[in-house]
Amino acid sequence: MFLDITDLTKNFGGLVAVNQFSMGVGEGQIVGLIGPNGAGKTTVFNLITGVIHPTAGKVEFDGKDVTGKSPHTIASFGIGRTFQLTPLFTEFSTLENVVASYYLHPRSSFWDTFFNSPTYRRNEAYALEQSLKILDLVGLSKVKDELARNLPHGYQKMLGIARALAVQPRLLMLDEPLGGMNTDEITFTMDVMAKVRSQGMTILVIEHNMQILDLCDHVVAINFGQKIGEGTVLEVRNNPDVIKAYLGEQNVA
Amino acid sequence: MDTIITCTVNGLVLSAIYILVALGFSLQLSIMGIFNFAHGAIYMIGAYITYGLSVGLGLNPWVSLLLSVILVGAFGLFVERFCFRPFQSKITRMIVMAIALILILQTAVEVTLGGVTRALPAFVPGILRVGFISVDAERVLTFCIGAVLLVAMTYLIQRTQIGQQMLAVAQDAEGAALQGIDTHRTAAIATVIACATAALSGSLMATIFSMNPFMGDNILLKAIQVTILSGIGSIGGILAGGLIMGLLNAFLPVLTEASIGELITILIVILILLIRPKGLFGYELF
Amino acid sequence: MRIGSSITLRKKVTSIVAYAAIIVFLALLPTLGLPVYPMHTLIGVFIWIIVASSLRLLDLSGQGSIGHAAFMAIGAYTSGILAKFLGWSPWITMPIGVIATAAVAFLVAVPFTRVRGIYFTMVSLFFGIGVLAVNQVFSKFTGGYSGIGSIPLLFGYDKTPYYYFCLVLLVVCLGIIYRLEHSRIGLTWKAVAQSHSVASSIGINESWQRILCLGVSCCIAGIAGVAYAHYYSLLTQDTFSFNTSINVFVYMTVGGPRYFAGPILGTAALILIPEQLRSLREYVPFIFAGILLIVLFLMPQGLAGLLEQFKQKFARSSKTESVETDDGVSKRVP
Repeated sequence: MFLDITDLTKNFGGLVAVNQFSMGVGEGQIVGLIGPNGAGKTTVFNLITGVIHPTAGKVEFDGKDVTGKSPHTIASFGIGRTFQLTPLFTEFSTLENVVASYYLHPRSSFWDTFFNSPTYRRNEAYALEQSLKILDLVGLSKVKDELARNLPHGYQKMLGIARALAVQPRLLMLDEPLGGMNTDEITFTMDVMAKVRSQGMTILVIEHNMQILDLCDHVVAINFGQKIGEGTVLEVRNNPDVIKAYLGEQNVA
Repeated sequence: MDTIITCTVNGLVLSAIYILVALGFSLQLSIMGIFNFAHGAIYMIGAYITYGLSVGLGLNPWVSLLLSVILVGAFGLFVERFCFRPFQSKITRMIVMAIALILILQTAVEVTLGGVTRALPAFVPGILRVGFISVDAERVLTFCIGAVLLVAMTYLIQRTQIGQQMLAVAQDAEGAALQGIDTHRTAAIATVIACATAALSGSLMATIFSMNPFMGDNILLKAIQVTILSGIGSIGGILAGGLIMGLLNAFLPVLTEASIGELITILIVILILLIRPKGLFGYELF
Repeated sequence: MRIGSSITLRKKVTSIVAYAAIIVFLALLPTLGLPVYPMHTLIGVFIWIIVASSLRLLDLSGQGSIGHAAFMAIGAYTSGILAKFLGWSPWITMPIGVIATAAVAFLVAVPFTRVRGIYFTMVSLFFGIGVLAVNQVFSKFTGGYSGIGSIPLLFGYDKTPYYYFCLVLLVVCLGIIYRLEHSRIGLTWKAVAQSHSVASSIGINESWQRILCLGVSCCIAGIAGVAYAHYYSLLTQDTFSFNTSINVFVYMTVGGPRYFAGPILGTAALILIPEQLRSLREYVPFIFAGILLIVLFLMPQGLAGLLEQFKQKFARSSKTESVETDDGVSKRVP
């Protein structure tokens, strides 16, 4: 498996937020992580990306043990992620957000940067060029000079994805990318995800909104920090435990 | 033995003052989110108004004290409304505003009365003797006033509706407003209490030690130190923190050089900021 | 200045030309007959602009310090003591002073950058006071409250070489700060300031970046410190006190921390205006306070922000430009 999570556990004092959670993501797949509010989905994300440290368990990415490493190290291994809230650099323009995120590759040395060497200038030009391409891909080219915090909500979420793409990840982790979007925006976002996957990206996506299931090769359901089911879209949809967990949720198809 | 008693007495007196001033400072911080850098200047101006009224105009010292407390309390209302509320979440601006205020107050004093260090005559002159301990009556008064005020404050916050409202606003201003609590009125009351106690402490301090236009600078630092030490949210915490700080400041200069003592205090404060920012007793600091 | 925007190049060239013109003017002043006292004042302005700008550099990474004078002190006292008591040439002790500042800065940066926001500011406050206390503790070497006098001068008694020296130092330091701010390093620092979690997620080691920023900023303050020591020749407890740190902080804030020219304008205004009105003697602090109040209530973005607004009004551009107001609402100006 490209991403392997084994028996991941997280205790906060007396509260067990994630309990022996295991799952895998194959290379080139789109895997969905679903569950009701408070199920522990974002906690799992935070555990994988090093924002919080697991109490127990292991996270392996592309054969490497990345358990408990710091977020920036995880990013350098090729994992990019979005956040549910505050997904952006609010004082930067849309373009600057993406260019700033082109931090890891290519990476100019301090002296190259300070003395504005040809290497540095080449790297920066490349970053700018690639950033414009990404903005094109996510449909934000028109607002590239707009201040990020002035963007409408749907655009902000797209910018979050653009930013994560700038890391040039091999695994893209999206935390509720469809949150607060209208139907058109949802379709567009799913199109982008499909396009990105067709270029070889592996995607792990948390979502509430069941529409995302149409895209997924594999779905894992979680509730109260524990896996309650997994399989293909159809299997999970018909899983009684999953249905029970979502009773009362309006988004069950 | 004598030294220990003197130090303890001094420590308790200092504690009382520190607690009063720190209380005012952290009240404003927790309830209004105002980092009142000028709190020391208000403490100072309280002392000078008392001086001006009693020594300058010849009014009865107690009347002067009362007037000073009232005037400074009112001034505090003005300051909160027009000087700090406009900059509520912008801390850098607030600090600059406070600097402007400090400059204005200090210069006003320097221009009218001069920067000379003065003494304010004690409210209760004389010495008390208890057993083999002899203590300035003024220091005993200060301690007593401090203790009484502290008890009153605790009662106010824990038993009255106003106090509960202040607690509510301190924890969640928006939520409190939604519950129908008049946050502006609560803020006003907190400010008046803070400034009034500052003026009182300043006047008392001026009788025990001395007064000059810059006496507020040092007390501000002490108030911040106590607030950091104790954390916010617990009056008992401020009490404990103030006691610790007061006793430290009384004993350390005797045990070791004054500057080493200060260094020790500063190191303690920095350590707390780095390791346990919410203070020893409180919930959350800033 | 926005990356990729077409106005950028034109703005950059205009800025550079403007700064060059000012530098040339300042360089020519002595030859045009600048009297001694104004020259002395300007030297002070140069030194404090360096410190205020270093403070702003630190602010780029989201860290606000109100104890920066302490780093000046470390450099100044180190260089001053070595020069005075060991007899070494200031040209040797000054770099040593800067290195000492850098060493201390990086040493304390590691624990200090563990905290952010106002906690960091409080730590800086007490660090500043702590350095003063250390000064007192070692008063045998540092002269305690009355400090050290007769520190060997850099040049002779004529002020002109100092003027040029400090001007050059100013241009170099500002150049360094400008380059850092407008390079990817500055971009990274600004990113860290806005959201440390997002910055981490794109691979930025945000703790290390903040340490780096603090280190560089303090170094520059140290440079100003050593220049101060070997010009004014006297260092006392009051020279680098808490008041000094706050003053520099105020210079930066009044000038407008969002703008490169902010510390320059703020320092110049808050030193030169009260200086011009020094005949008012004990009323001068009122003038200072007055300037603060005017800027606080009428110029939300500081003096530099006001300047920027004027520039926007007179700039000719074919497309619409966005003007930021302080409440964050983007307005379109035709």
